[in-house]
Amino acid sequence: MKPPRSELLLRGEAVTVRLGKALVVDSANLTLRAGEFVALVGPNGAGKTTLMRALAGLQPARGKIELRERRLDSFGPRERARSIAYLPQGHVFYWPVSAASVVGLGRYPHADAFSRPSPEDATAVSRALKATGLEPLADRRVTTLSGGERARVALARALATEAPILFADEPTASLDPRHQLLVMEMLRRTTRTGAAVLAILHDITLAARFADRIVLMDGGRIVADGLPADALNPAQIAKVFGVEAIDVDIGEGVVPVLRRPI
Amino acid sequence: MPDRRPASQKFHTVLAMLVVVLAVLSLMVGSADLPPKTVFDALLNGDGIAGIIVRDIRLPRTLLAAMIGGTFGLAGAALQGLLRNPLAEPALFGAPQAAAAGAALLIATGSAGATSFAVPLAGIAGTTLAVGGLLAIAGRRASLTVTMLAGLAIASFFGAAIALILNLAPNPHIALEIAFWLLGSLQDRSFEHVIIVLPFLAASWVTLGMSANAFRALTLGEDAAASLGVDMGWTRRTVVVGVAFGVGAAVSIAGAISFVGLVAPHLVRRAVGSDPARVMLPAALAGAAMLLAADIGVRLVPGAIEIKLGVVTALIGVPFFVAMIFSERRYLEGNPVS
Repeated sequence: MKPPRSELLLRGEAVTVRLGKALVVDSANLTLRAGEFVALVGPNGAGKTTLMRALAGLQPARGKIELRERRLDSFGPRERARSIAYLPQGHVFYWPVSAASVVGLGRYPHADAFSRPSPEDATAVSRALKATGLEPLADRRVTTLSGGERARVALARALATEAPILFADEPTASLDPRHQLLVMEMLRRTTRTGAAVLAILHDITLAARFADRIVLMDGGRIVADGLPADALNPAQIAKVFGVEAIDVDIGEGVVPVLRRPI
Repeated sequence: MPDRRPASQKFHTVLAMLVVVLAVLSLMVGSADLPPKTVFDALLNGDGIAGIIVRDIRLPRTLLAAMIGGTFGLAGAALQGLLRNPLAEPALFGAPQAAAAGAALLIATGSAGATSFAVPLAGIAGTTLAVGGLLAIAGRRASLTVTMLAGLAIASFFGAAIALILNLAPNPHIALEIAFWLLGSLQDRSFEHVIIVLPFLAASWVTLGMSANAFRALTLGEDAAASLGVDMGWTRRTVVVGVAFGVGAAVSIAGAISFVGLVAPHLVRRAVGSDPARVMLPAALAGAAMLLAADIGVRLVPGAIEIKLGVVTALIGVPFFVAMIFSERRYLEGNPVS
């Protein structure tokens, strides 16, 4: 277990986002401490992605967001990007460039408009390629890779920033079971270096197994925030997801397994 | 890290040499063919008839062809980088038409001579409207379909604006002058034209070049690029200004020239790869080479009437565009690689 009081990296207080007339995120409070793996779960349309984008400074929001006890909006774009790496949904690459050059983009916040890559950049890129097992694929064009490989390239790009905070929006979506587990293990390993990980996940069994803490969202509000066993108990799952779940002991703890829609 | 490709260095040198060779050829060719030695003598000493032909008549034309071709190549590469789309090209959303409409309006009303700073400014104003309009309609996701449809609408609008100006032209002579100028040409351009257009083109090169790394980050899409610290609003505005200055000024001097911005980046991608930042310099060089070659071509075609430059680039560019659509069909049908 993580020490309970590690450094507070990010704090959102009463974070509220309106898109048009819709109240998408409704006064959400959320903290992220060094070394924590937090899973953000909830049904479609609960406001998870919007909350994550607001916390990453990509979505204007009301309320208070502080990065290391300094207002997030007082950071410059690159300064903010050095602290928060964000992996969006979908793992899209628009040009057929090599995996290594995609991963190199993770170093963008460390450069200015004209500087050449530094030795630290090269080391960070090879560390990220190694952590994701991509070394043999480094020179392959991303267009020739499988979905699972592309997901790893996208994750490696986010890791290469070596930011203290990593946001990942559905990093396991559309991956085969092996790649889902590989990606979750990579994220957990990242927290061992002292980084905080906030990941949006739809697989609540996976979330309960890997995350230190679960933040459960429904209708724009955070309805639970705590240990997996508390936040994802069968009653809560029934209420939020409309699904009947049972707790199953898988040897390394109890996780919820879904049975049928209610 | 961008791909390590020492080969691209060599490719740049080859392209630059090609531009120089074509520039010399461009000084040699015309109604009086001059051998290279005469051209060099004339450039250095500038005496006699050869001196007048080379220095006063052909040199401005050669310089303009290289600068304007380079600008179109660079503008195409920049737009493709911003929209993450290999089919983006200033002409496909009416940027040259918009510049032409702005400049034609000025000529038709007789409020400025053809060699005044007001003409490129009017061209730049027109292009700003076109590029700004495109980005406003295409929006944050800049999907291929929306971008192309928006471009079609904008191109049609400025086409109609030009038609209206021709329609309302006070006398047929002015209408004919505008019509010919719309075909695109570098005939009878002087150093005055070079001096008028150079500051705007230089501003465009610097502005577009500054966004090269942002285009590279945009390989991941706008959200990821923004999360990496790319200021998307600033990048969009920079590209609007850069393309408007470049295309607006170029069209106001050379008339409507299209498809260089589409073809040049595509050709160099085969050699330097798809990294949008690495495409920019070779695309500019290739654009310069293409327009120099086309401008030599129009002078080699026998006949009393010179074929216009814009006609040649469109005749070559459109079949190329169609071939590109064929080869990129998989991409076009599935949109981005995901």
